[in-house]
Amino acid sequence: MPDKSDVLVAIAPITEKPGIDRAMRVAIQRARHGKKGAVFAQQQAFDAAVAKLVHEIPVDAQVAEWFVNENLIPMVRRPWKKILLNPAIVAIGLALLVIGGIFAYRVHQHLRDFPGATKARKLLSVASSTRSVMLDPLKTDAGALSDLFYLKHRLEHYDVPPEFAEFKTLGTRVFDHEDVHQVAQIWLAEKRMQFFMFPAEANPKTGRVEDFSDWRFVENEGWTGVVQQRNGVCFMAAIRGGEKLLQPFLEKKKQ
Amino acid sequence: MPVTTKNLPQLYRFCFLMTGDPAKAQAAFQDTVREAAERAARDEPAPDRLWFFRDARWRCLALGEQGLQAEEGMMEEADISPSAPAQIEQLTPDQLGVWISAAPEPQRSALALFYLDEFSLAEILSLLELKVGEFSTLIFSGRRQFQAWLDATTPYYEGEAFDARQV
Repeated sequence: MPDKSDVLVAIAPITEKPGIDRAMRVAIQRARHGKKGAVFAQQQAFDAAVAKLVHEIPVDAQVAEWFVNENLIPMVRRPWKKILLNPAIVAIGLALLVIGGIFAYRVHQHLRDFPGATKARKLLSVASSTRSVMLDPLKTDAGALSDLFYLKHRLEHYDVPPEFAEFKTLGTRVFDHEDVHQVAQIWLAEKRMQFFMFPAEANPKTGRVEDFSDWRFVENEGWTGVVQQRNGVCFMAAIRGGEKLLQPFLEKKKQ
Repeated sequence: MPVTTKNLPQLYRFCFLMTGDPAKAQAAFQDTVREAAERAARDEPAPDRLWFFRDARWRCLALGEQGLQAEEGMMEEADISPSAPAQIEQLTPDQLGVWISAAPEPQRSALALFYLDEFSLAEILSLLELKVGEFSTLIFSGRRQFQAWLDATTPYYEGEAFDARQV
């Protein structure tokens, strides 16, 4: 039974062609330089002679007329519209659109990010899973809790900004989050809103904690938070829903 | 790869090797090219080079069935002779066409495509729908059968070809 090399050698290309695979090239090399070199040379000469004779097959004048016209078989140019409506092109286009959308969203999100944004998003997850019974009941103005946090928990500058200071609280707690550390959480009567106060994070570029007085939004799991950072402490008002629900509270103060 | 006027003579030669008859080759060739032109006119994707040869092959086989059929049987084989190129030189293209067209299928198509020296191995296997081992066996035995036929019809004696017409 002939081995694979013999199988390939028997059909070695008559003339060198581009794209001859490696197995064929190796088989030819072995045949040329091996014991069967003379037999292979005879085979090549035989094949070349037959191929030469094939190329000498005369082409009838009537048939040759068919070759004169270069455009005998028109190359159909597919119109752009048809190409664009090809299901494969449509699928690729949609996929690119989705990828582009996600990329743009991530870039947009990143542009608005601040050093404590990751922590803030984690606390939005906490907000979504918190039940009112988990907090100590306390009915007062949110702005009045700064003293409580300082006196009871030694949490300095855990202040509620003026925009949200007049909101009525239902409960509060201070807990130690594994990533965010000491967090003060306040449950409000209004729209089941929650406030969080937590230590700010240093800017990795400068190594310093840089406060900001403008409001910055973060989103996670259908919750939206608006964050402000003062005296190394972040304050976040969190609400279930979008930015639009928080905007009125911020504008109220401006007026 | 698009078909151009460069490929068309090869297509005709293929038809000639398959049928061994210039009239049948011309008919198969023209029908194939006409079919390609009609497909292009119907706004279908332009046929590629392999399509032309695949289409022509079936047309040639259909035309071949209309005439006298070669008897099936074991053909003699002989080792390839060092004088084979000189023996082949004595042949005319018509004789070669007659011999190849008399071979059974798929050996006929295999020999015609192989000796056209137009296609890569992968393309030939695709056209013939054969495995590499099957194709190799067909060419190997075809070559030896052709040598036996050459020895019988065009013997070569040390630099001189035997011409039966001189006897």
